[in-house]
Amino acid sequence: MIRKQAIGIISSEIENNVIVAANGYISRDLFDVNDKHKNFYMIGSMGLSSSIALGVAIKNPKKRIFVFDGDGNILMNLGSLTTIGSLKPKNLIHVVFDNEIHESTGGQPTQTQYVSIKKLAKSANYKVFQASTQNRLKKILNQIKKMPGPIMIVMKIQRSSFVSKRVALDTIEIRDRFLNSLKDKH
Amino acid sequence: MKKISQERMFDYLLTKKIENYIGVPDSTMKHFIDHGIKKKKILITTREDEAIGIAVGMYLSGSLSLVFMQNAGFANSISTITSLVQLYEIPLIFLIGWRGYLKKDAPEHARIGKIQPHILRILELQSKLVTDDNWKYCCDWAIKKVKQNQSCALVIRRIFYD
Repeated sequence: MIRKQAIGIISSEIENNVIVAANGYISRDLFDVNDKHKNFYMIGSMGLSSSIALGVAIKNPKKRIFVFDGDGNILMNLGSLTTIGSLKPKNLIHVVFDNEIHESTGGQPTQTQYVSIKKLAKSANYKVFQASTQNRLKKILNQIKKMPGPIMIVMKIQRSSFVSKRVALDTIEIRDRFLNSLKDKH
Repeated sequence: MKKISQERMFDYLLTKKIENYIGVPDSTMKHFIDHGIKKKKILITTREDEAIGIAVGMYLSGSLSLVFMQNAGFANSISTITSLVQLYEIPLIFLIGWRGYLKKDAPEHARIGKIQPHILRILELQSKLVTDDNWKYCCDWAIKKVKQNQSCALVIRRIFYD
């Protein structure tokens, strides 16, 4: 499966839940397949999607907050795993799309082929799941519906030369529609 | 800054609806942080940019934050300030310990201490030097800034050498 397919499946299965999407191709794919006000698209600040999502999760304990992260992204901010693992937000679901490369900069290798994100997250008090197929992914999404977090889904994806269009919103618009959508009780 | 001023400053900001205090510790503002820990209002992170990320998430949820750090950590955060805080126009109060303010300070503080005012200026981040005498005025100024949707910095000089 390629990232865009996986993003399509997850964002449709979790319906109108909040998503904080990492910069680069992850935000682009999400914008392309399932744009909504409850998506926060990062343009820059690589590595910080899990931290932004943690801030949102702490302040919105009744909402399920999803992070769409990448392997390169989370490796840049491994400390956030320990902060999340210390606070144990029940409403945080951290999805890492792992293709073992920095795809948007030309496919340079990341270190996830040598060091397991799964094990790192387990040490940091996450409940961890891993999928590489559509069936397995859907089963996991079903299984975690009522499960308290923090949860990590490591989604192993294939490399691809497919590139989604850029996020066609300016940052102030991304900010304001996300901020306003969080004011809803649902 | 004296212990009592740091503690009062914390209490004052809290009553003025600055709800979250997130960052990496600095002995320059030790009493501010210790006081906040006693009140269970402090979140210590692994890095400064992580603290800024969390504060941004809280702002998006309608809650204002102060992010504290040493000036070395402030230097670590430059890209996060330009590509997150400024790009999305997120109002935050930075509380920065100015290490290397004194001529006689540890060698690792000297260079960053010297260029710190320039970094703030280049980033176009407005700042004030907080002292025992003006902390209330500085807090009011910072609160006004964030309520006008602008980030700003309060700087505490390190006037001791340990």
